Amino acid sequence: MSVLAFLIPVTLAMGALGLAAFFWSLRSGQYEDLTGDAERILFDADDTPLTPPRASPRRDMTPKETMK
Amino acid sequence: MISSLTQAERGAAMLITLSGMVAGLAMAAAGRGDPMGAHGWIVLAFFALFFGLLVRAAYETEAPEDRSLAYYDDPTKVGILIALAWAVIAMGMGLWVAAQLAWPDLRFDAAWSGFGRLRPVHTSGVIFGFGGNALIATSFHIMQRTSRARMPGQVAPWFVLFGFNLFCLIAASGYLMGVTQSKEYAEPEWYADIWLVVVWVVYFVLYIRTLARRREPHIYVANWYYLAFILVVAVLHIVNNLAVPASWTGAKSYSAFSGVQDAMTQWWYGHNAVAFFLTSGFLGMLYYFLPKRAGRPIYSYRLSILSFWGITFFYIWAGSHHLHYTALPHWVQTLGMTFSVMLLVPSWASAGNALMTLNGAWRKVRDDATLRFMMVAAVFYGLSTFEGSFMAIRPVNGLSHYTDWTIGHVHAGAMGWVALITFGAIYALVPGLWRRETIYSWKAVEWHFWLALAGTVIYVFAMWNSGIIQGLMWRTYGESGTLLYSFTDSLVAMHPYYVARAFGGLLFVTGAIIGAWNVVMTIRHVPRQIPAQDRPTTPKTMEPALPAAE
Amino acid sequence: MKMDINESHGPALPVSGPRKTDPPPRAERLAMIRPSAAGRGVCLLSVPGLRCGGCVAAVERALAELPQVVSARANLTLKQVRVVLARADDDPLPVLERLDALGHEAHPIEADREADTKGEGPGLLRAMAVAGFGAMNVMLLSVAVWSGADGIMRETFHLISGLIALPVVAYAGQPFFWSALSALKARRLNMDVPIALAILLAVALSLFETARGGEEVFFDAAVTLLFFLLTGRYLDQLMRDRARSAVMGLARLAPKGALRLLADGGREWLPKEAIAPGMRLVVAAGERLPVDARIRRGTTDLDRSIVTGEAMPLSAGPGMDLEAGTLNLTGEIEVEVLRAADASFLAEMMRMLGAAEGGRGGYVRIADRAARLYAPVVHLLALLTFMGWLWITRDWQASAFVAISVLIITCPCALGLAVPVAHVVAAGRLMREGVLMKDGAALERLAEIDRALFDKTGTLTTGTPRITGGPEDADDRAVARALALRSRHPAARAIAGQLDAFELTAEAVAEHPGLGVEGVVRGRRARLGRASWVAKIAAGPRPETGPAFAIEGQEARMFDLHETLRPAAREAVAELKAEGLPVALLSGDAGERAARIAALAGIDEVHHGATPAQKVAHLDALRNGGHRALMVGDGLNDAAALAAAHVSMAPASASEAGRTAADFVILRDGLDAVPATYGLARATARIVRQNFALAIAYNCIAIPLAMAGLVTPLLAALAMSGSSILVIGNALRLNGRLAPPKARPEPQALMMPA
Repeated sequence: MSVLAFLIPVTLAMGALGLAAFFWSLRSGQYEDLTGDAERILFDADDTPLTPPRASPRRDMTPKETMK
Repeated sequence: MISSLTQAERGAAMLITLSGMVAGLAMAAAGRGDPMGAHGWIVLAFFALFFGLLVRAAYETEAPEDRSLAYYDDPTKVGILIALAWAVIAMGMGLWVAAQLAWPDLRFDAAWSGFGRLRPVHTSGVIFGFGGNALIATSFHIMQRTSRARMPGQVAPWFVLFGFNLFCLIAASGYLMGVTQSKEYAEPEWYADIWLVVVWVVYFVLYIRTLARRREPHIYVANWYYLAFILVVAVLHIVNNLAVPASWTGAKSYSAFSGVQDAMTQWWYGHNAVAFFLTSGFLGMLYYFLPKRAGRPIYSYRLSILSFWGITFFYIWAGSHHLHYTALPHWVQTLGMTFSVMLLVPSWASAGNALMTLNGAWRKVRDDATLRFMMVAAVFYGLSTFEGSFMAIRPVNGLSHYTDWTIGHVHAGAMGWVALITFGAIYALVPGLWRRETIYSWKAVEWHFWLALAGTVIYVFAMWNSGIIQGLMWRTYGESGTLLYSFTDSLVAMHPYYVARAFGGLLFVTGAIIGAWNVVMTIRHVPRQIPAQDRPTTPKTMEPALPAAE
Repeated sequence: MKMDINESHGPALPVSGPRKTDPPPRAERLAMIRPSAAGRGVCLLSVPGLRCGGCVAAVERALAELPQVVSARANLTLKQVRVVLARADDDPLPVLERLDALGHEAHPIEADREADTKGEGPGLLRAMAVAGFGAMNVMLLSVAVWSGADGIMRETFHLISGLIALPVVAYAGQPFFWSALSALKARRLNMDVPIALAILLAVALSLFETARGGEEVFFDAAVTLLFFLLTGRYLDQLMRDRARSAVMGLARLAPKGALRLLADGGREWLPKEAIAPGMRLVVAAGERLPVDARIRRGTTDLDRSIVTGEAMPLSAGPGMDLEAGTLNLTGEIEVEVLRAADASFLAEMMRMLGAAEGGRGGYVRIADRAARLYAPVVHLLALLTFMGWLWITRDWQASAFVAISVLIITCPCALGLAVPVAHVVAAGRLMREGVLMKDGAALERLAEIDRALFDKTGTLTTGTPRITGGPEDADDRAVARALALRSRHPAARAIAGQLDAFELTAEAVAEHPGLGVEGVVRGRRARLGRASWVAKIAAGPRPETGPAFAIEGQEARMFDLHETLRPAAREAVAELKAEGLPVALLSGDAGERAARIAALAGIDEVHHGATPAQKVAHLDALRNGGHRALMVGDGLNDAAALAAAHVSMAPASASEAGRTAADFVILRDGLDAVPATYGLARATARIVRQNFALAIAYNCIAIPLAMAGLVTPLLAALAMSGSSILVIGNALRLNGRLAPPKARPEPQALMMPA
């Protein structure tokens, strides 16, 4: 089954990528408010809410900053 | 479509189409006398069409520079229409090949219309043409809405959408000419594969760039499902299509793997294509449109994230269950079987999560056919994942493999789950996207729903019956230890079921045609409804921002 | 920093009803903003009223409309709103007012507290993710080996498993290794000692076997074990973090400073630590005293409920000594500081609290008690196995293999999950019932109680007095209400809130501290307040005591104020008695009132007039007598008693100290949560015992097999997963334990200050 020598590393690499993505999402605070985040897609904002990029709240919202 | 581009972007688009035309011409010249030459002409014509459109619109008024305050919905709209067109064509092909199995004369004695050539047109047409376009269109919609940001590029979304359809076109036309790698769901030859990689990389970059621009800090779970779909399909596609062309001027190529190694790679790809193309992406669709339509948050958001990781991990090694009782080492078969059975846990978690979301909104499900599409899709998802795990068990597989049971299982998933969730999502999307008051005919949606459900049930039951009868006939021994039935005997026994299957397919195709008609009529005849704020405004001033370029 | 004190209470009270919360003074508001790296001001607010997506959308939209708000984001899980202001020195008052207008009470959360809420959760989650990744991949390779991969394939798979398992164990095993190490250093045994030992030995043995080309390795068992145990530990942590953040959400800010009166008449805000004896402070109406002080000028009404537990307000004038934490209700007063903050009454109470908590330190959690027995037995068995095999076979490698497999198969995976999973399920159940549990140990202790003690004010009673009487005429009632709306006095608030009348506006309203409110309504002068003061403008007979109301020239009308029992207080006491628990009242209030409430609630044993120290002494006496008491109380004066009791509960309306000291916080209005929680605690204890029994039964089967050398890695993995799933399934039965919650008022209604 020499093809496994190829498929196993490919799969492991994808798994490691998934793990890295999970770590990133954890650090960037993706799991801090699961109850609220499930609700957010229901907000009726589909046509409107694009705020101008200058006032982008994201820079001020990163949890890393809050830790300091 | 073109009026929303600036002059610079039109220039870039022209450059791309021109290079495409050159490539097409080169293919046509190099592949003279080979199907590749014909493909060259198709590529040339395809890009020439867009080049012509661009030239004709060259002096139309330009779009305003700042379009960042509106979502970019045009590619979504076009994607939905293309998906519906593919649905009608490819499901019609399915009906044709089903009818050919019952009445072989329907082949009309042409080379291109044989079962072996039409079947991949049907499978690729529904999976990639219908499913793929629906996934691309809905992912454009969902990634923008959940990120509350516009897609970064103006040209890239069109490149992804039309580039993907060029791939579908080359694939389908190739099958009719007899061009195939003979790999299930990976039939297109090397140049189509390379083109798909280019398109796919642009798609991934577009997705990531949209997420990077997001103004909503949280990335909704549907995006994870879509991202897994894009990323893993890319890796699978590249690995499985590693091949050496027999010649640079011809379509034929040889796989980099041989024998059972090739079979293993193919089913590692094949089953993961089911996982990440037909499951992960459509689960993303489900996790967005079902809560949205029901007006309730997903029952357990935590569970939706957990089952994402579960599905991602468990699916990877399930593929070898397609090779039970083959030359594949026994332990690799057992491995595939074990993981296929474990896969049931995250699969049922997803299906249960979707149904629990509707618990308490059953009145809506009763009244709203759109929501019912999604509900029934979740039920079929649960049923077919259970069936899949069950059929992956080696002794069961001994009965089911190579019989119509497998066909029934696949169609329970493809019709009951994939197609129904897609139609539900399309009905949920269309009025809002085109700013229409409502859908043209709710009655037609009801008709579509019941036709689709009846068609699926008839199809699946016919195939279960025929598959089990087939399996049993093939393994029945007489007293002298010889097989009791010849292959022809089993074929004769199948005939009524094949007729029933064609009838189920007919119902399903009729539903799809009604759906496509309803969507077109909605766009053409339903009055526009201008929402209170049709033009995006900033919440600060409540003043109209720059008009969205549509 | 000089400022005008009146600014903080600038806008008049809205006519429609009393404000839900009074905003803290400006200086304090500014102190709660932290500058962000981008030069903006970040302010974190606890908003317990956030309940649904709709509230989140409404709050975020309303706050985003404010000119100084750059962004506002609500967290529905933690019930917090994070507001980014354009500049670090922007006043967040409009934010608080906007939230108040939406009907949401909001309290600022201090910056250092925010870091607290995160706890160890993310670290454990990371470890769990790594262990999960490792377990999946190692399991894959192991399934391949068990399915029959052999020869070079098996050796390769073992090698890859090892390469995955080593870093995974090194990273994800740390919580257990450190815990085991610190236990060993203290010459104790805890559950983590056998766990850490089994994992390390399993990995070491497997490495050795891999190098040797052996057939059986335990990488999968080691990593899967880690994953299961980390899951249990993470759930436990999640439960505690969630309860902590919820309790913190209830917390109101204790005064962080006060306005100092300078010699030149100017005013300066000082943080609490900088206040020294002898300084003059100005305390406005609605503020709490940060230190012990004596009134020098001004008269007012005081709310000393957190000191004495007495709900009725008290009039006060110059010369009177006040304890820190006293709330100034009606008039501005000038006070002289008697003691520095760290020597104040408040600080003294906190010290008592700390001392009382020490008494509970001897409690050992049931899992650790089990581990003290379990670990030596298992290690002894492993040693015996090794010696036995060595004696028989003379093959030290095979002997070590068998001995280590004994350790692996007996690794207390199920034991490690038995307690936390049951507690997590119970905590989730309690959360839905409106009870917050801070710690699993509390549930264990609650199951052991043999008596219950209740505080009176705010615990058995609602804390808000009920009114009866007053004027009968609808017009007069409206006038009385119009006056009552303009005062902060609790009696006035009760009247404003409970008097059924139409809207009227009072003009020229003046609050006379210690006396009452006076104003002109429809051209007529009217008074609401102390009976003797009201009688001065009234005609007819003089009323005796209590609050009264009169329109000039008309007859005065009395209001009667009663303390009322909390809903279901009587039923709760009866249920506890039916369970065989003696119930007693332990109150700081006067004998007669305490006896009356006790009789109402059906309590026979009454201890009245108890000071905080006497309450603690009473509980200590009980403890020394071998009793284990449940204390239910709310005030600061109860805080030490709550900590001294074997286990304690506090209602959500309790003082911050009370909520901090209590093991359980009841978010519901009714006291029926007390017997319900007790019932669940006993059910949980039963489930935990069953889980231990299951784990022991499993070991009785597994250990002989392991000692006989019959355990293969496949068997070990199956046994471990099987016993873990069994234990988890058993714990999940707790979900169906209690009767479905009855219809009851939204818990939110209770979080409002009484």
